[in-house]
Parts: sequence; C-alpha cells; structure tokens
Amino acid sequence: MVYKKRKILDFNLSKKYFKENLIRSLLIISAVVGIIVIFSILFFLVRESYPLPTDLSSFLSGLEWKPTSVNPRFGAFPLIVGTLLVTLGAMLFAVPLSIGSAIFISEIATPKIRRIIKPIIELLAGIPSVVYGFFGLIILVDWIHDGFGVPTGETWLAGSIILGIMAIPTITSVAEDAINAVPRHYKEGSLAMGATKWQTISKVVFPSAISGITAAIILGIGRAVGETMAVMMICGNSPIIPEPFWDVFSPIRTLTSTLGIEIGEVPFGSGHYHALFGVAVLLLIITLIVNISAVYILGKIKEKQMALGKSKKKSRISQDLLEKIKKYFKNTILLFLLISFYFVGGLIFVGSIVLIGIFLYYVSKKISQSSIQRISFSIITFSIIIVFCILGLLLGYIILNGMGAIDWEFLTMPHTNLGRQGGVVTALLGTLYLAAGAIAIALPIGVGAAIYLVEYTKEGKFTKIIRTAADLLNGTPSIVFGLFGFAFLTLFLGWGRVLLAGQITLAFMIIPTILRTSEEALKSVPQSIREGSLAVGATRWQTIRRVVLPPASPGIITGAILGIGRAAGETAPIMFIAVTFTAFEPSSLWEPVNALSYHILVLATEIPGPEAKVSAGGAALVLLMLVIGLYIIAIAIRNYYTKKMKW
Amino acid sequence: MSKEKIIIKTKNLNLWYDDNHALIDVNLNMQPNKVTALIGPSGCGKSTLIRCFNRMNDVITGCKIKGQVEYHGENIYGPKVDAVEIRKKIGMVFQKPNPFPKSIYENIAYGPRVQGMNNKKKLDKIVEKSLKDAALWEEVKDRLNDSAMGLSGGQQQRLCIARSLAIEPEIILMDEPCSSLDPIATAKIEDLINELKKNYTVIIVTHNMQQAARVSDYTAYMYLGKMIEYGKTKQIFEKPKEDLTEKYITGRFG
Repeated sequence: MVYKKRKILDFNLSKKYFKENLIRSLLIISAVVGIIVIFSILFFLVRESYPLPTDLSSFLSGLEWKPTSVNPRFGAFPLIVGTLLVTLGAMLFAVPLSIGSAIFISEIATPKIRRIIKPIIELLAGIPSVVYGFFGLIILVDWIHDGFGVPTGETWLAGSIILGIMAIPTITSVAEDAINAVPRHYKEGSLAMGATKWQTISKVVFPSAISGITAAIILGIGRAVGETMAVMMICGNSPIIPEPFWDVFSPIRTLTSTLGIEIGEVPFGSGHYHALFGVAVLLLIITLIVNISAVYILGKIKEKQMALGKSKKKSRISQDLLEKIKKYFKNTILLFLLISFYFVGGLIFVGSIVLIGIFLYYVSKKISQSSIQRISFSIITFSIIIVFCILGLLLGYIILNGMGAIDWEFLTMPHTNLGRQGGVVTALLGTLYLAAGAIAIALPIGVGAAIYLVEYTKEGKFTKIIRTAADLLNGTPSIVFGLFGFAFLTLFLGWGRVLLAGQITLAFMIIPTILRTSEEALKSVPQSIREGSLAVGATRWQTIRRVVLPPASPGIITGAILGIGRAAGETAPIMFIAVTFTAFEPSSLWEPVNALSYHILVLATEIPGPEAKVSAGGAALVLLMLVIGLYIIAIAIRNYYTKKMKW
Repeated sequence: MSKEKIIIKTKNLNLWYDDNHALIDVNLNMQPNKVTALIGPSGCGKSTLIRCFNRMNDVITGCKIKGQVEYHGENIYGPKVDAVEIRKKIGMVFQKPNPFPKSIYENIAYGPRVQGMNNKKKLDKIVEKSLKDAALWEEVKDRLNDSAMGLSGGQQQRLCIARSLAIEPEIILMDEPCSSLDPIATAKIEDLINELKKNYTVIIVTHNMQQAARVSDYTAYMYLGKMIEYGKTKQIFEKPKEDLTEKYITGRFG
C-alpha cells in the first residue's frame, strides 16, 4: 500500500496543511465578524444615545414625553410604565392558558394528538407580528369599541390581548419542553405508590419542571416587551400613564412603539434623536435583564441535568454575566424601578394564584381524588381549547378575509391607486430579496462561527464572549436592530433607504439565531464520532466535512429556514432603512424596495378607504402563507431527522 | 533477554488536565507483536496513557503534556510531527462502539478514503479483508450498504476494529473495548485480539483482570497516575513484586 510508507516526521507540515489552515482562517474570520457585529450594535446604540437632552434622572422619571413641542420634554417614564403594563396584561392572560396547554400536550394528550398539536403551536410562533397587528386593528379594536362602549378600541386591553396571543406559543413550547424533561422514573415512582395521574402531575411533575416553566414565562415576557408592530398598530400610542393605572381602556404607549413612530422623522443629531437612542438603550437593558434571567435559569437546569450524568462540560457563562450585570446595575435607580414594577405585578399574580390554590385546597378536602382529577383535567383541556379557538379565529379570519382579495392579478401585478387596486408582486419580490440577501450574509457568518466555536476552540473566554453576546442578541427586540441599521447604515454611512441596508440589518438580526442553532446541531453530534474519525488518520477538516456536518446539517438547515422566515416576516427593523411604499422593483441593491409586511402596515394604518383594508387582508394572507410555509418545511425536516438520528 | 525490540517507549511522561496531574513520570517500553494490558482502578490514568500513544489527548481541553513518547525511536510529541500521520500508524478502538452514521461499507472505507484512496476495486478489497480480519464478514457480507447503527453492540465494536484495521496500522490501541458488551460478544473480541497479535501490536486498557490475564503477554499496573509495576503477565499475576499490585490483583482494593 502506497499510503503506508509515510513517515511520521514531515518537514513540510505547513505546506501540506495549507487547505486545513486556510479553512481554519476563514472560520476564524467569520467568528470575528460575528463578534464585531454583535459589539458594534451595542457600541453604536450607546454612543448615539449620548448626550441625552436631559439629565438621566429626569429622562427616567419625567412624566412628559413631548419631544417635538416648542419646549420639548423627554420623560420616558410613561413609556416604561406603558411597556410594563401592557406586558403585565399580556402575561395575566397568556400564562395560565400556556401552562394549561403545555400540561395538556405533555401529560394528557395521547401521542397521536400530541404529534398534531405540538407542531401547530410551534407554527404559530412564526406568524409575523404585523399580521397580528392587522388582525387586532381590524377586528379586536372594533370589538372592544362596540363591546365596552369606549370611545376608541385602541387601548391597553387590545395590546395586552394581542401580545398575550403572541406570547402563548413561546411560553407553551418552552414550558412543554421543561415538563417533558422531567425524568420518567419520577412519574413512575409516584404512580407506583398509588397516586392518581393528576396528583402525579401536580405534586411531582409540575414542581420538578417549575424552573423551566419560569424560564418559559420570562421568555414570553421578553417577547412581549420587545414587540413593536402589533403594539404600535393597536394601542393608541398616547404617551400617558393610565389614570387610574388599572384603566385597561386607556390608550398606552410603549418604548418600542415610540421608536417605531418617531425614528422616521427625527433630525439627525438633535436632542430628540439622542433621546430616542436613550429609549432604545433602555429597551435593550430591560430585555437584557429579562433574557439573562431566562438564560440563567435554563442554564441552571441544564447544569443540573448534566450533573446527573458525568460530564463536567457545562458553561457558566450566564452565571458570570449575571454577576457582572448585577455589579453594574445593582445600585442604579433603574433596576430598582424595574424590579419594583415587576414585583408589584408579580405580587398580584402570585397572590391570585395562591388564593385560587387555597380555595381549591379547601374544596379538595371535600371531594374525592378522582373528581379532582376530572375537574383539573377539564380545566386544562379547556385552556387548550381556548387557545385553539383564539388561534382558529385569527387564522380563519386572515384566511377567509384574504381569500377574497387574492386572485392571479393580485399575485402578479404591482399595486396602483395607493394600493387600493392591483397586486402585491413588488412587495412580495421585495420581501424575497430582503430575506434572500439576509440569509446569504448571515448563513456563512453564523455557520462558520459556529463551526469554529464548536470544532476548533477549546472552551475559554473567547467562546464565552461570543456565546453570551449571541444569547443576548437573540432576545433583542427587532426594532433595536432597525435603530442600529438606521444610525449606522442610513445616516452614518449615508446610504439612505436601500435594499442592501435592509438585508444587512436583517442578517445581523438572524446571525445569533443561526449561530446558536448551528452550534446546537454540531454539539449534538457525539464526540466519540469525531474521535473515531481522527483515530483513523482523518484531518480535522476531513472529520468535520465527512462525519460531523452530514448529521448536523438538518439542524443547521432548520435554523437557516427559521431565519429566513423570521427575516421575511419582520417589519420593524427595515421600516426606516430599506422600504418605501413603492410599486417599482429595485434595479440594484442601492434602491429602496417594498416589502409585504410594510405593505400591510401602510395599507392598514395610512391609506383610507375600505379597498385598502381588503388589499391589506390579501397581502397579510400572502405573507402568512410564505412564512408559515417556511416554518412547516423547517419543522418537517427537524421531525424527520430527529426520528432517524439515534446515537 | 538480550536486546529487546521496542516499538513504543515513554520517557518521564507527565500529563495534566488543567490542575489535575493525571500521569506522573510514566516510563514504559512496549514490544512489537505482543499484547500489552493496562490495568488499574478507575481514574488511575490508564485511558489517559493509552490516548497519549496516538495523540488523542490533543483534542481534550486543558490537557498539557511533558516528557516523551517514542514510536520507533522518534518522539511523537516533537515539533515537526504530524498527529494525523501518527494516527494512520496507530489505530484506536474506543470504550463505546462509535460507528459513523453511515453504511457498514462506508464506515470501513472511511479511513482509506480520507487518505485519498478512491479506487472502487481496491476499496472493496480493503473492506472485505478488514471485515474478515475482524471476524465480522460472515455476519454482514449481504448487507454492507445497511446503516452501521443497526448492528448489535458487539458487531458495532468489531466494525470499529475493522475500521481501524482498514488503514493497516502497526499498533492498535483498545480502550476498554468490551466494557459495554455482553459476555458472548466479549469472548469474540478476545479471540479476535489473539488473532490480531500475529500482525499487529495491541495495547489494551481493561477493567477486567481475567481479561488481562487471558489476552495479554505483558501487563502494566497503574495507580493514581503512576506506573506501579510492568512485566510479563504471568509474573504480574502470579508473583507481583509490588505490594500494591498484589492487593489490587487479589481484589483487596480497587
């Protein structure tokens, strides 16, 4: 055999491994680009918020937000209150339903039903927020207006309901994962001692899953705090604190919608401009705190599960970070404010749960265990039925309403008469250009960085920094990315509104998702397989390409498709930097485009007349089909391969 | 015993995992075409030691090595040495069977392929020979294109042995190859080891002292990262020189 004659000494090592080293450097570059992206966003936001037009304390606690009056005021307090109230309302509504649904899916449903329901819930996480906003604006707001006889339906209540619906899929699927992760022998132990199924669920399963469920709720809060479009469309947007503060029929304005509304018109470098970046930083800090706590809790759970095995390969990233964050913010008024708000909200919430619990406890003394089980199962089943009714209503409305508008002309013609006639082809193409460009930029960087992190580095400071930053950006509100793109690309580089700016901004937004999903996919390939390959004399890159990437690719592809879906559905980040309500296709990357999501927004909120609403309905259905289609593909790939891959 | 031929020689080998001093001044000479068994209680460093011989510890985080491992008189930790070339000469079989999620054929052909062999006929021959040498050919010859994940644990482990034979190494390292197998599969692997030593040098880590006694020519006893005693298997088991070895072998601790 020729290949056997080689000597182990090789004095041309670097030449021989030219390709290996080249690939390695390319991967390092993508990892470094990833870090630069992540940190430049943080850097830019903070830089642009300086100097604030007022001092920090009156910015945080001022009661008036009047940025454009003769005597401008920049008190962000009503916006903070608005954000917290609308989130609180959403959670009061979403948490019980989501937890009920999660328990139903993991513990009560038969395997067959579970197989159907679970993907549907996950699918719902993919509905673009502008579609929720459109539904809220056309249907919900009217109902509230007529049903409660209030002057306008654009209220805190409307925002909370829509945000609650949006948060349900997130909370349900993470909580369901947590419940599912409870080891089977816990349950068996309880059942073997003669406990009923409900006793087992309530006394064994639920308590063991409680930290995962908490993380699920926190992630739901993060989603609600960061949402822009839906809130902006239906909350009325008056920067006031409701009087009294539990008046759910008051209009309300959040941090995100302030950015969404005002960024487009603000003069570069003015006090108002800096104040808006201040708002963005505030928003970022709130979501960071929320997300860090979720990551921290989930990390703890992972640690605990790892400890059950033997591996010591756990990451203490979030813990370290938490310590740091604590140090920085512990003594500021800011954290105090936030915590006290959540505390009050939480107290009310926990209080009511405890009261219900005490009530049930006393009732339960009187009736038999099997009746309790029947009652609780009915409540749980009822909650998932409600969820499905709501979602059925929403989807049914979008589909039925949209069908009327869609015909061949609608799909193939540009719009005319301000969108009242004609079709959506320019918007559809624009969305595709944006999403395609975003994935073309994000995929190499995200996957390259992931390969570098998992395959080439040893765990250390460097990997920790990247991973933590990616985790944090993952939960960052999309409007913050929009603001970054606006400040950096549109204004600082002077690009104006161009397609390329939108593609880059969307790419930045999805890089963390792609990086983390690729990382998970690579990590799910057992180390022993890599060792097996190295042990027969494969080089590192040969090992990656031939035995690691093939089994990891379904996971990577799933992440990429979800990224495309997310990019296609977003409105907030591209609103000021890439899109206009144009009926012309761009001829280069340096021209603005239209996008479906933006098209819907303009038709629903700015163009008067019933035809505009019909067209908006059609466009909403097209966008929904596009995004949901992508999600279905992604979920199908994942399910197919998780069944196939067994190590 | 005049001048013995030596294939692997360690000189004052020390190894740390971060702060944990896992191997302490290990000195060892191993001879070609013999089976050497490494025994000792869990955590004594025998798996760590065997992974030094083909530089598999390179992939472990926080691992630091001092001292020398000589293969035919050349230090494999020298500056100009290519770890990939070493692994082509020194194959390895792991504790748990780790077939690739590919077909049986592709598992065996993988090694030659990554070394640039693409001739289908030659590959067919290598696959057949390797499977025969690993005593697996009869069981799988009709389903070479089936996934290797569908084989039983014992078959998977023999497949992994066949995979390491396919690149025609000189030495085969086996890290507790039977620890996840049942007694019948274990017996088959032990028979195989006896066959293999005609053409290969085998170094095996084992927890099972009967196994060490059955298959090996030489035995090394390790304890807390140190090489306590090394010699002919017969001598080690019948009249060990060291007190610690005797205690371990007679089952008084470990």
